[in-house]
Amino acid sequence: MSQVPANGRPLLEVDDLRTYFPVRRGVFLRTVGHVKAVDGVSFSIQPGRTLGLVGESGCGKSTVGRTLLRLIPATSGSVRYKGEDFFSYRGEELRKLRRQMQIVFQDPVSSLNPRMTVGNIIGEPMQVHGLASGSGRDEMVAGLLERVGLDPAYVTRYPHEFSGGQRQRIGIARALALNPNFIVCDEAVSALDVSIQSQILNLLGDLQKERGIAYLFIAHNLAVVEHISDDVAVMYLGRIVEQASARDLYSNPKHPYTMALLSAVPELNPRPRRRRIVLPGEVPSAVNPPGGCPFHPRCHLTRQAASDADATETAEITVGGTKLRVLRRCAEEMPVLEQKQAEPGHCAACWVTK
Amino acid sequence: MTSSTATSVMTGAKAPAARPRSLMAIVLRDTVSQLGARLAVAWIGLLILGAVFGPFIANSFPLIARVDGRWESPMWRYLVPTDVVLLVVFIATIILCGVRQMTVPVKVGIVIWLLALVIPLALWAVLARDLSWYRHEYGTGLVVISLGVAFGLDLAVLVLVPLKLPLSSRQWTILGLFAAALTGILVLHPVKPPTTIIYDQYRELGRAGRMQFSLPAPVPYSPTDRLRDQPDAQLLAPDTRHWMGTEINGADVFSRMIHASRVALAIGFIATGIAIVAGCAVGGVMGYFSGRVDMLGMRLLEIFEAIPTLFLLISCVAFFGRSLYLVMVIIGLTSWSGYARFVRAEFLRLRNQDFVLAAIAAGLPLRSVLFRHMLPNGLVPVLVSASFGVASAILSESVLSFLGLGLIDEPSWGDLLNQATGQGGTFTWWLAVFPGLAIFLTVFSYNLIGEALRDALDPKLRDGASD
Repeated sequence: MSQVPANGRPLLEVDDLRTYFPVRRGVFLRTVGHVKAVDGVSFSIQPGRTLGLVGESGCGKSTVGRTLLRLIPATSGSVRYKGEDFFSYRGEELRKLRRQMQIVFQDPVSSLNPRMTVGNIIGEPMQVHGLASGSGRDEMVAGLLERVGLDPAYVTRYPHEFSGGQRQRIGIARALALNPNFIVCDEAVSALDVSIQSQILNLLGDLQKERGIAYLFIAHNLAVVEHISDDVAVMYLGRIVEQASARDLYSNPKHPYTMALLSAVPELNPRPRRRRIVLPGEVPSAVNPPGGCPFHPRCHLTRQAASDADATETAEITVGGTKLRVLRRCAEEMPVLEQKQAEPGHCAACWVTK
Repeated sequence: MTSSTATSVMTGAKAPAARPRSLMAIVLRDTVSQLGARLAVAWIGLLILGAVFGPFIANSFPLIARVDGRWESPMWRYLVPTDVVLLVVFIATIILCGVRQMTVPVKVGIVIWLLALVIPLALWAVLARDLSWYRHEYGTGLVVISLGVAFGLDLAVLVLVPLKLPLSSRQWTILGLFAAALTGILVLHPVKPPTTIIYDQYRELGRAGRMQFSLPAPVPYSPTDRLRDQPDAQLLAPDTRHWMGTEINGADVFSRMIHASRVALAIGFIATGIAIVAGCAVGGVMGYFSGRVDMLGMRLLEIFEAIPTLFLLISCVAFFGRSLYLVMVIIGLTSWSGYARFVRAEFLRLRNQDFVLAAIAAGLPLRSVLFRHMLPNGLVPVLVSASFGVASAILSESVLSFLGLGLIDEPSWGDLLNQATGQGGTFTWWLAVFPGLAIFLTVFSYNLIGEALRDALDPKLRDGASD
């Protein structure tokens, strides 16, 4: 991802984005701590390219998508859209700029207003932004419905009359209605059948080729992300732990968490080549993450490394009642996202891998 | 009732929908499919007919009469502006219900537009006559200002509503013709009831033999006709002439019962309407912005909840005199807190729903997000509680009338009830039974409708069609 082509400025640059949710207790709702849902995330997306964002549930990947669209207020950090600071826009200007950045949601049931017809759901944004009105609007809505593979006669129907896959297509048509440059696909296919998933993925891919839309593709399914993404970032506990081009990341993961995730992807080959890496323990709480590398209590690499290393370089930790020996550095120092030797632009946040 | 809803939902799911139906349409169908709700709707419908056609059903003046060789319609001549406005709106609503290709908000818009047209037209003759009295009472400046404001608002509605309504040119032509015909009739034949009303004049004419023909109303007594030409007309027990007897002043109870349905409906709907509008506005703002706004709003709610409605009503009536509109406004302004709580809770839930986020992400203005995307989805529990609210508003008015603080001379069920117990401990059964039954049936009907609405909206009984 970091290999920025010399010819182009990135469409979207996210720098050190943080989103904390206060935890309030007591009668006076005193803030006693923060859920660090997103804790210093940086990446950039080129026009017409796709960045996949993966991680397990609760790692903050959806919050990243919503924060950078300003649906959730950011705690700190910056988002630059076409070089301009998106977070500095206010009021009417912000409303106008929102046209260029859209979102497709995971849940096709709750993402469409049950009280509005399909024609109004797709047509209202166009009308508000002055893209079309009257019969021109109806034509554009019909064209969009056709483009996403639905019957244009559906404009007068209500969302509850459609299946999940059809609703997701309506959601995509709504996002396309404003002719955006950038779409956040927030688990856009996770709630669909596998056969429908591939249809929607192909649709998204075709639209990208036609219109040069950039995607931030958030998902927990690694196979889906590999299929659609140019670059992939892996998140763990609100941070990006590994970032690389899709090919590099899948063929040669550098972060132990990525390795564990990839080993869990089911394969068609009945005799698995890879050893399944089972992570011990639970995902730590984002209110009170472990010190040092947040992944160290579950990391297999640091345990292996610790067994070979000097006793002075190791430390003993307790995870769920069992004592483990890990590298002292992993337990005490936060690793930074740095370039690894293997491929150019392949970054990982790990003390163990080189 | 529960099982009947379940079966109706199932049959509803089996039957293929001929055309797209909104969730609201499905919910209404499910509501009305219950027997109790059907009976309740029938009773309310009866009340609406009574309210609109009261002057046609119960009137001392003949519908048509031939006096001294001239045909006339005394009933028409004595119609007051309220009667005319209600009649026009009722007819327009019936016509609009038959029109298929318009959505409900558009139909409501047309009715509002017609109201804005008809009210000043119906009032103008009466107003012109009474203006000198108002000027004398309130001073020229105040009259000019209030009239200016009223007509300005009215003009704004007349001009702005057509701009907002998505009607085809053909629909506009039909509506325009209808409006023009209405305007023509009301201008050429202004609503101009005589200032002095002598109820017995046509009875006298009949007795004097000057009336060659008359078609009396089914109940030939006006609600305020004290039967002064008939001796000992007070407190007559029900018989064939007075089906529900007469009250303390000699007026026919049945006639008063019919005309009182107007007060009962108006107080219920207008008071609840005010409460819903205020509740939605405050609750919506609280729920959407949450945080500090929510905290302040909640304190405001608690202040309003601490006001005892009945005592406020009694003291306001004592200070400002007896006015139906004052009562409506006070009931409305003290009962909105419940709706505000409902709307707030709904908005807190809705503001993080994906479709609301999508609306924000699409850069829609706040107005659209709040009122197009959130409010229609949060209105459902409000509607359920509104049906109970209507019932309690009617009860409040009845209580006020029963305490002798109701309207003067206007028929009201509570006022009739009040007369049932006379001085010296006398008890008149027909003044207790009939209005009591009417109040009971009306309140019970609204409760039944509320229950049915709640059942129809219960997501557990619906096949996942709702959110």
